[in-house]
Amino acid sequence: MAKVDIKELNVWFKENHVLKDVSLAIKEHAVTAVMGPSGCGKTTLIRAINRMNEIIGGSRTSGAVYLDGKNVYDEDTNVYELRRKVGMVFQKPNPFPKSIFENVAFGPKIHKIANGKKLDEIVEESLRGGALWDEVKDRLNDSAFSLSGGQQQRLCIARALAVEPEVILMDEPCSALDPAATAKIEALIRELSEKYTVIIVTHNLQQAARVSDFTAFMYMGKLVEYGDTTSVFENPKSELTEKYITGKFG
Amino acid sequence: MSRLLDIGLEQLTTMVYKMGEVAEKAIGISVRGFMEGKDVTRDVNELSEILVTMTVEIEEKTFELIVKYQPVASDLRIINSYMKIAYDFERYGRYAWDISFTHKKLSSLENCALSWDSMERLVEKVSEMVSKSIRALKDHDVELAKTLAETEKEVDEIFFKYIDQLAESPTQTKCAMCNLLVARFLERIADHTTYIGEAIVYIATGEKVTLR
Repeated sequence: MAKVDIKELNVWFKENHVLKDVSLAIKEHAVTAVMGPSGCGKTTLIRAINRMNEIIGGSRTSGAVYLDGKNVYDEDTNVYELRRKVGMVFQKPNPFPKSIFENVAFGPKIHKIANGKKLDEIVEESLRGGALWDEVKDRLNDSAFSLSGGQQQRLCIARALAVEPEVILMDEPCSALDPAATAKIEALIRELSEKYTVIIVTHNLQQAARVSDFTAFMYMGKLVEYGDTTSVFENPKSELTEKYITGKFG
Repeated sequence: MSRLLDIGLEQLTTMVYKMGEVAEKAIGISVRGFMEGKDVTRDVNELSEILVTMTVEIEEKTFELIVKYQPVASDLRIINSYMKIAYDFERYGRYAWDISFTHKKLSSLENCALSWDSMERLVEKVSEMVSKSIRALKDHDVELAKTLAETEKEVDEIFFKYIDQLAESPTQTKCAMCNLLVARFLERIADHTTYIGEAIVYIATGEKVTLR
């Protein structure tokens, strides 16, 4: 069974029909990349998984998104619990104006997952999971803003891990980073897929090819192609995918 | 607006087509020299050396395109296949040289009392396959590429029967050795035409087929 099973999903923002009948079964413990030109709906697609689109006024959704077989759009869904299970990392690192420790501890505290010694353990484990522990273990009380851009992004990943998610959504997580920081995040994404289901939106085709097991290509709100990454990049089935990845349009 | 990669692909394509022409010429001179009993080693060696150099140049070009543009899909298939085809053309050249050298070293027609029927058919079939492989490459003609497999079967059949015939000619040792080796080189050229055919199918369809 797919970890996340998207069925005939449609999303509108007011009159704008952004996602059109998208169906996509996302495999557990794998990295799935979603690529496509600007405005194709890829960010809307991943934000539909943890109902983040609802934060934007005027959004409307039809269809279903099943997480472990349960439709997240069912009325009895606890949206806060959903967002704990389905964490998100954004394009620009967005640490809270707090210490490194507090950034990671924030989620477990508000979700009442842990406090005291247990909280210390979760912070360490999450920072290790975010491949940041060794770089910050001696300065946990420093401001998160004292970190470099790449470190801040890994802190945001650690912050997402601290609430024990099952799925991690990443929206262009490396677009604001230099090549060295990007390489670290990409290696981290591969590691994370051993424990979590990772869905990453990226404009960077080579990044999609490097980090993902499966790739989805979207165009004008529709899913054009979805398959294992090597096949999509070596021998795409759709002419549109071929043109997009070879830079003949978009 | 064309892509920067297109300029490089065009250069690569020109290099590969040019190499095909040189390889075909080398085989043509070599088999003609053999059938007519002429020593053509010098001419064939020169072309074979050119093909070795061209292989290196094509390999460098493909690496440049990969490093600069990280090609995918049909671009990647073309680059990957052209690198392989360049190797096949290099082998055409090498076998052409082997044929001319073997002939020079071991035999001449006037000393040979063996039947030439099989050898003539081999030369005809293999020369036809070489031309077809180059034509199919230039036209990216999948159907023509696939016909190479049929002819290759015929070549194998002639070759294996010819081995039996040569084995029954104990008094013609040198001549039999020469013809056996030349037949083997021709059979190997035929194999390489099918490798080129496979690469053409892969470029056009993305399918990895075996045509042998």
